[in-house]
Amino acid sequence: MLNLNNLTIKRGNNVVFSDFNTSFKTSNLTVVIGKNGSGKTTLLRTIAGFIPIENGHMSFKKVDMTINKNLWVEKLIYIDTKNGLSQDLTVLENLATWVQMKGWSTSRDNLIKALRSVEMEKYSNVYISQCSEGLKKRAALARLYFSFIFGVEFWLLDEPSNDLDKKSIILFKELVTNFLKINGTIILTTHDTNLFKSKYEVLDLDLLKEKIII
Amino acid sequence: MSSNGSSWLFVLVTHIKRDFLINLRSLTDLVAIISFMLLIIILFTFGIGPIKESLDIISSAIIWVGLILALIPSLEKTLNKDLENGWFDQLLTSPIPLEIILLSKSISYWLMVIIPLILSTPIFFILLDIDLKQTPWLLTSMTIGGLAISLVGLIGASLVLGAKRGNILLPILIIPLMIPILIFGVGINEAIKMDEEPINNLLLLIAFTLIYLVISPFISALLIRIAIAR
Amino acid sequence: MFNWLANPNRFSKLTGNLQLPLIILSTTMILLGLYYGLFDSPEDYQQGDAVRIMYVHVPSAWLASFLFFSLAISCIFYLVWKHPLADLISNAIAPIGAIFSVLTLVTGSLWGKPMWGTWWVWDARLTSMLILFFFYLGYMLLSNAFERKIDGSKSASVLAIIGLINLPIIKFSVDWWHTLHQPSSILRMDGPSIDKEMLLPLTLMMVGFSLFSIYLIITNVKTMLLEKKCEALILKLNLKEFS
Repeated sequence: MLNLNNLTIKRGNNVVFSDFNTSFKTSNLTVVIGKNGSGKTTLLRTIAGFIPIENGHMSFKKVDMTINKNLWVEKLIYIDTKNGLSQDLTVLENLATWVQMKGWSTSRDNLIKALRSVEMEKYSNVYISQCSEGLKKRAALARLYFSFIFGVEFWLLDEPSNDLDKKSIILFKELVTNFLKINGTIILTTHDTNLFKSKYEVLDLDLLKEKIII
Repeated sequence: MSSNGSSWLFVLVTHIKRDFLINLRSLTDLVAIISFMLLIIILFTFGIGPIKESLDIISSAIIWVGLILALIPSLEKTLNKDLENGWFDQLLTSPIPLEIILLSKSISYWLMVIIPLILSTPIFFILLDIDLKQTPWLLTSMTIGGLAISLVGLIGASLVLGAKRGNILLPILIIPLMIPILIFGVGINEAIKMDEEPINNLLLLIAFTLIYLVISPFISALLIRIAIAR
Repeated sequence: MFNWLANPNRFSKLTGNLQLPLIILSTTMILLGLYYGLFDSPEDYQQGDAVRIMYVHVPSAWLASFLFFSLAISCIFYLVWKHPLADLISNAIAPIGAIFSVLTLVTGSLWGKPMWGTWWVWDARLTSMLILFFFYLGYMLLSNAFERKIDGSKSASVLAIIGLINLPIIKFSVDWWHTLHQPSSILRMDGPSIDKEMLLPLTLMMVGFSLFSIYLIITNVKTMLLEKKCEALILKLNLKEFS
């Protein structure tokens, strides 16, 4: 369970959320929707710990996330529209450095398996600079595979389905279903309201009260 | 896992390896930096005139100034690229402190950009007809000072991270910080020229580099967290 | 204490009462100091009347350094306690400090002309002051280099703190460099031993300049507070128009 209590978040001088309360249940998929500028990305980045909170607190399994940051980030995978891939590295190299950056060590086999989970294994030696947006997104989503090896409990995905073709979306949904089965928790944002047919929760940011701008 | 010393070393090596691969694939940048330094030295020589006596007085200073100036344009890119492609966001989800990762960044910049540049300087020594007994000292002082330049550059690059005209702003912010490096670095060769002991200058240069080795990863990490929160 | 003061309205009220006495007091002291300094103090046995520029040069040099120190302290306050008023104060200090450092450089070279026969000598103190000026400049440029003003504030605050750590190192290295290249053949600016009669105008000028810069800082902060209010009002009006 991830709890957000009385959260106030500011970007610049703008208050994006004030006294915001919500909670995300374990092994649940929450889809955050809202129009442009409603603060979807801000919410995700705050939960990931990139944006300092002005007020309130966030706790994961009753442990304060802002204080015990390391315990939190070890269990987290965050993927946004920027993907975090270096143009000058190949798909495989990018994935390998990412895994090592997370402090994990893994075999080449597992890396290939991860790429296979998003059908990227034949692109493993292609430079990211030569990949299309959809391929880049898939190269980033390959990271999700390691959740099943290293006990990741939380996914924060900012518009993961953008740029993906139909087949890739099916692969992605498969990863999501499997992750939910091992009690993973997912928060994702999307503009595609028909993305999931199965049970999921919706957090509509447009229903929040009108934002105050100072 | 995160508090384990050996895993930090592992991460340090990982990041140096990553930067090594990236730099390897943009070798043209290195060629451009070396040519830029050569051109700076040519400009100086054209400005001063080809008289050996006047060149002798300032040759080591020219090389040092050339080193600093040639590196400045490449500094901003070292961090800005990783901010734009979202790599820094990923780094913040790593259990390893950002400070360690940034330390590895400046070490790899030192190893992969500054050291090759310094290795190319013997060409400049010939062009400027630098005394043979000075060359080992110049190379040593530049190698140590190069690490300091890399660390100061790290601070500079993180200061302008995400700024509108970062490239123009960066030199104004970091050249004042480079002054001590230049003074002690050139001081070593001045001492050699006058047949004095260069050890004082060398120790000061080392001390200065060590100070930056300690503080700049922290300052830079603070700045990067600020940049990511924007 | 700081938090109590940090409320913009309270700040305006409190400092509003201070402004008039500050300007009166500082002008009087500066005028008196100038009178004593220019007409009623002895000339230096070596430098003659040229020494009188000291009454402007020394207080500005002192203020330029002290204001940078205050700027950095205020930046620390901003970074740690995140109060916007601390940022406004740093922003208010920067141009004033920069002007004082320019004043130091100008008076320094005016003083240098009769002493050294040239407008500029790479004297260690003046050179350090020139570098200090670049730190002020860097602070001002960086805090305005981002799309939203508030984005630059934090980075610029860190720069001010880096400056605070580095200035002693730079000062030391410049002194080192100076002794390396010019072994004490030149008259240093702090050369003349200060006569008792010189002390009175100097103190008057010091205190006068300090009070005057406090006055300027308060005015600057108030202007910026008003600017902020205006911006907020304009934003509100614009939003209303669209909705």
